[in-house]
Amino acid sequence: MQKLTRCFWVLSILILNSCTQGKKIELIPVDNFFKNPEKTAFLISPDGKYISYLKSVNNRLNIFVQTIDGKTTTQVTANKARNITYYFWANNNEILYLKNYDGEEDQELQAVQRDGKNTRNLISYKNTRVNLITFTCTINNEILVGLNKRDSTVFDAYRLNIKTGALVMLSENPGNITRWFADPAGKLRMAIASDGVDETLLYRFSEKRKFRAIVKNNFKTTLAPLGFSRDSRIYALSNRNRDKIALVEFNCRTRKEYRVIYSNPLVDVSDGVISKSTNKLEYAGYDTWKKQRFYLDANVKNMYQQIEKQLPNTEIRVTDRDLSGKKFIIKTFNDRNPGTYYLYTKADNKLLKVGDVSSSLKEKQLCEMKPISFKARDGVIINGYLTLPKGEITSKFPFVVVPHGGPSARNSWGYNAEVQFLANRGYGVLQLNYRGSTGYGKAFWIAGFKEWGGKIQEDITDGTQWLIRSKIADPKRIAIYGGSFGGFSALHGLIFNPDLYVCGASYSGLLNLFSYLKAIPPYHKPYQEMYYEMVGNPQTDGDYFRRSSPIFHTDKIKVPVLIAQGSKDPRVNVNETNQFVKELKKRQISVTYILKEDEAHFFRKPENKVEFYKELELFLSRNMGKSN
Amino acid sequence: MKEQKHLYHKNFTLVVAFLILISISLVVAMLLAYNLTKKYVENEFVSNKIDVLDAAINPYNDLFQNKIPEISFYQGYLDSASVKKYSDTVFFNFPFVERIVFYDASISNNKIADGLRVNNFAMGPKAVYQFGKNVSKDSIILFKKNLPNTLSLKASDEFNKMAVKFAGFIESADTTQSLSDDDRYNIFYSINPKRITYLSIPRREDLQVFKELMFKEQPPSLEYQQDLMTFYLNPFRLKLKNPHPELYQHIIIKPLVYESLDNNPELINTDIPLPGAFSDYKLYLSSSKSYLTKEINFRFLPIATGLLLIYGVLVLIAYLIFRNLNINSKMFKLQYDFINNLTHEFKTPVSVIKIAGNNIRSASQLSDKERNHYGKILDEEAEKLNDMMNRLLSFTQIENKAIKIKEEVINLEVFCQNLVDAYQIKYPHFNMTFSIEGVDHFKADPVLLGSLFRNLIDNAYKYSLTDKKELHIVIKKIRKNLVFKFTDQGIGIPKKELENIFKKFYRIQSQYNQQGSVGLGLAFCKELVNFMNGSIVVKSREGKGSEFKIALPFEEFA
Repeated sequence: MQKLTRCFWVLSILILNSCTQGKKIELIPVDNFFKNPEKTAFLISPDGKYISYLKSVNNRLNIFVQTIDGKTTTQVTANKARNITYYFWANNNEILYLKNYDGEEDQELQAVQRDGKNTRNLISYKNTRVNLITFTCTINNEILVGLNKRDSTVFDAYRLNIKTGALVMLSENPGNITRWFADPAGKLRMAIASDGVDETLLYRFSEKRKFRAIVKNNFKTTLAPLGFSRDSRIYALSNRNRDKIALVEFNCRTRKEYRVIYSNPLVDVSDGVISKSTNKLEYAGYDTWKKQRFYLDANVKNMYQQIEKQLPNTEIRVTDRDLSGKKFIIKTFNDRNPGTYYLYTKADNKLLKVGDVSSSLKEKQLCEMKPISFKARDGVIINGYLTLPKGEITSKFPFVVVPHGGPSARNSWGYNAEVQFLANRGYGVLQLNYRGSTGYGKAFWIAGFKEWGGKIQEDITDGTQWLIRSKIADPKRIAIYGGSFGGFSALHGLIFNPDLYVCGASYSGLLNLFSYLKAIPPYHKPYQEMYYEMVGNPQTDGDYFRRSSPIFHTDKIKVPVLIAQGSKDPRVNVNETNQFVKELKKRQISVTYILKEDEAHFFRKPENKVEFYKELELFLSRNMGKSN
Repeated sequence: MKEQKHLYHKNFTLVVAFLILISISLVVAMLLAYNLTKKYVENEFVSNKIDVLDAAINPYNDLFQNKIPEISFYQGYLDSASVKKYSDTVFFNFPFVERIVFYDASISNNKIADGLRVNNFAMGPKAVYQFGKNVSKDSIILFKKNLPNTLSLKASDEFNKMAVKFAGFIESADTTQSLSDDDRYNIFYSINPKRITYLSIPRREDLQVFKELMFKEQPPSLEYQQDLMTFYLNPFRLKLKNPHPELYQHIIIKPLVYESLDNNPELINTDIPLPGAFSDYKLYLSSSKSYLTKEINFRFLPIATGLLLIYGVLVLIAYLIFRNLNINSKMFKLQYDFINNLTHEFKTPVSVIKIAGNNIRSASQLSDKERNHYGKILDEEAEKLNDMMNRLLSFTQIENKAIKIKEEVINLEVFCQNLVDAYQIKYPHFNMTFSIEGVDHFKADPVLLGSLFRNLIDNAYKYSLTDKKELHIVIKKIRKNLVFKFTDQGIGIPKKELENIFKKFYRIQSQYNQQGSVGLGLAFCKELVNFMNGSIVVKSREGKGSEFKIALPFEEFA
């Protein structure tokens, strides 16, 4: 009898154990995070009868078209080499799309019928990039494109007839125009010229007249045209004479700001949405810790509120609509969902789910991303996001600090594959919008100029210290990882805070600011001066460059390093990365080096991406230990 | 007996043979070990120079592989101020660098006054500076572009060579491929005796630009920056370290062609050429023979000690085996003698009995006198046999602790007097006296004690000359012991035999014990005394007499 009870106890303990094992967080395969989206870029045909989307076939994105009721689906393209990067409905029958040549940066613009027949090459030149000026429906079978076939450094504006294939140059780029704009009627009427430091807005009242310089801005000032209003006025995002970008109407005749439509005291306005059909402003979008909308149209407000009622706690975007404004493609997402597409019919206020970006990721398995903020050492408030892995909150987590690239960029709230991948593997993730990040006003952005190896790095260090101070992170198990400038920051952290991090990973990280500036490609030539102001001038700030560039400081790295690099990276000289790795190895530092011959600044091929993240996972678990 | 002797003799030679063999082995091993050590040290003298070279050339390799390529990291952005800082670190870390000449070069398709022009490709210095410990401040600037045609041939020599090489490379370079390690070494380094020139390695994109500059007619281009530096080196300032001070007495740097003219046969030397920019020079290493011998001896010492130790252990083992054999042989001899003696002892009474028996049988009639005579003889001889057997028996009994003591209180006076009386009858010429001091009674087994007395008395009688047959017995109490002293005037015992007389079957070879002794008497006494928890010692002087002293524990009794 006693034996039996003992047996019972042993059994029940076993069962309990296996239960808690079962409760352990399920590891989601790396591929699920980083594979191409299953279905994405949903669009609706102008007549509202078809829905199109990009879907991954053999790991490459191709265009599919289905009838609005979802009954018949056609694969329109069969691209095997590279993803399709962009496509749009030219009219009710034809789709135009941009695809890359295999291995080269050259692009092709092609057209195909919605039933997949009659694929035509519209633009295909060697060493030429295609820059769409109009990227919605054609007007009289015509679209506007920018091509750099005459001179690789500048884009001239052309009008392309998609029926005949006729290509007419509309305006030759005098050498300084960086962007062209077309009005709703498809006329080339606006352009941005840049001499490197200053940007000039060019405007003309009709195509027959000459462009006139309207207003000149230093690159630190934004005046980004969004669309055309009435009476020679344009809608634009502007921070002329103010710190935070506001949605304004600008009068091109008087060359003065006409009115401020919306501005926010805390953050930049990031968005002004203009209705395609009515050419009216719908709302101004701005990012606090998440996206917010300031409605400018009661009907629009009503519609969004109707949708929000049906889909609470998610971000909502209208990604496309038919010409009549009755049917809408809506994309929703949140921190734990990379995206779900719906078809919304305004008349009956009905949402119909049409696809998931990644159905293999379950919301329940992913981790919440929460906004945080802390004070840097000089009192500046730094915002960021904290993602904790599932499990007990009381324990101290191993952490990965992930500074974003740029540095002229920002982290936002929403699904982030990298963050979710790391959190799923049991690491807490800290992202932070250090000074120099965009979105928090001009002054905050400029505060990062020439501080790449200075205040920006201090903010990142302060963020890590904040994690330790708040007792969230296990101070002995913090890693730092980033791509591009984030990689630079990771290496910088390892070099100058050798005791803070147990290991670090750099994905196409900048190693040498000298090379970085030398590498501004020919068609970016106008930016050189700007870079000098933002990063520093290699001639006069040589000392600062030397002090900040990781390549000069291999001797200070003491912990294991992972380095991933594409051989064709134009911004990072692969020879230098090799030299860097060689020297670390010579010093008996453990280095994991992932070198991909056919990749550039970031790995594009999904298999290379997955390999990188698998290596990263191994590297982190090897150096951080999975449990206490 | 002879065969036995022969056997033991053979064992001894075996031991000797063994000793000789291991001794020879020791000598051979010593010689071999010494020669090997010598060869080894001599080989090391020749081969370990590579370590010296490594140690000496390490900073040079560091300069060559790390510090010089660092120039490329600046991507052509170096100017005189930053080169000054760079060169300061070089001079600090690499004292063998004497001077650095920096050519701030530019590449374009423009017409230039100084420099090299191939097709449209023009490479010329904008300025030339030199830095060094001995360079005075006003001679830092060697050339400035704003003073054309002032560039001396001497100053531009290195630049021109590199420019020609680089232009040649641009002409044929495949700019779609990344640079191979070969190209990096062959094109961008120029290594000459005592100087290294390095041209910063442009990015692949730059190479494409340069190629276009060369072959395409283009409007005047930008000036692309390249840095070129020449490092002048002094081999004599290489820091020499001696990682093998035990091998090398002197390490010096000498020109490659140097040969020592020293005739000193005591001096041995070896050399190894320096690599790279120092290839005109070599490391010259030398040591005197006695210096090396010292090292050889030093290394040989532990080996020799080890060998000797092994040898010692072997000798010890041989000795132990030999000793064991010796003891065995002695034991064997003793037992053999014992049997021999015993046979003799038994033989005499037996033959007497036999003769008596024979006489009785052969006599036709026996007179009373004859019958008495023979009866007495038979009785006496049988008694002798019995006595001998008893003694042998009791001895084995005592030895095996098989008898039990039957203690009783003995009146010593009576006990002694009885014995004296008995011996007086047996040996009328035997002068026996005794004295007892301060004690009358003693508790012991009278049989054992009697046995003890008889043995000692018999011995005293046996080993005394006819006219000196005297024995004095003293009994007295000393502390807790009762001491019995037997003093005779006999022949005494030789000193060397003193320690043996108590051994079983041991007999001193002398004329007094030719017969009637089995060598058991004293051994038996010793066993008896031991059995009674006492002790026995002997003092003796040869020719003067012996004194046996027995101490037995004295128990007080009521």
